[in-house]
Amino acid sequence: MTITKERFESGLTYEAYKEAMSRNRDRVEANEQRVTLDPDTARAFKSLPRPLNVVVLAEDWCGDVIANLPVLGRLADEVGTLNVRIFYRDQNDDLMQRWLNQGKYKSIPVFAFFDEHFRELGHWIERPASVTEMRAKKRSEIFSKNPEYGSPDSPVDALPEDVRTRLQADLQKMRDETTAFANAEVQRELRELVTALPVR
Amino acid sequence: MRPVKVKITYCAECGYETQTLDLAKALMYEFGSRLSGIELIPWDSGTFDVSVDGQLVHSMRREGGFPESDVVKKAVRDRLASPL
Repeated sequence: MTITKERFESGLTYEAYKEAMSRNRDRVEANEQRVTLDPDTARAFKSLPRPLNVVVLAEDWCGDVIANLPVLGRLADEVGTLNVRIFYRDQNDDLMQRWLNQGKYKSIPVFAFFDEHFRELGHWIERPASVTEMRAKKRSEIFSKNPEYGSPDSPVDALPEDVRTRLQADLQKMRDETTAFANAEVQRELRELVTALPVR
Repeated sequence: MRPVKVKITYCAECGYETQTLDLAKALMYEFGSRLSGIELIPWDSGTFDVSVDGQLVHSMRREGGFPESDVVKKAVRDRLASPL
């Protein structure tokens, strides 16, 4: 799959995207600060023979974008071999249709890597499966330890407001406590993707 | 006729605010003071649940997608018409 140079360059740089954010910029920048760059990942990207062009699909309301785009942003800033351009998913459906999750879901962020001739080399979508699995397990543990939260599958609106607020706080704490793992897993998957690229 | 409470639980990480507000607006225009309240609950995990007086009338996980406002309106009407 290809994209024209002109189309690619019409996307926003990471800094321009942040400037244009209508919400959640504080969360993106807080996540940036929390990213610890993995030396192996940085080395893998720094050793690329030529810079890669990276098409990103994002929206500023999306939790996975808020969590994972800063990882790419920090990495690009550090390694100097990634030319990132960001496109809004809902204004670029032709791009979104190329990278549907499981062929049907418009999951974001999408990070699609292109060579200097704008031929696609590989892509990454949404979040690592390992992160989804770990958080599902920890979510189940929270419900198991707190019978007043009921079943994880029950509608939360049936809970008394004070109980629901405690549950919300516990879930947020769990997400915060697993952020370092999630950031490391994103980097691991991106490292594995880039080390398998034919440009190396 | 006892006023009815509607709760809409929506994924705040998924961009569902528009659908939430559209449904709330449709219910406000249709039922006005026959509602005791519309509670909007920001949540996560792709949730979009609607309950009417504690009865779940739509769940994105159960039915898939967003509810037609007519389906929720019918649930409110049925509740309003039900004996106390």
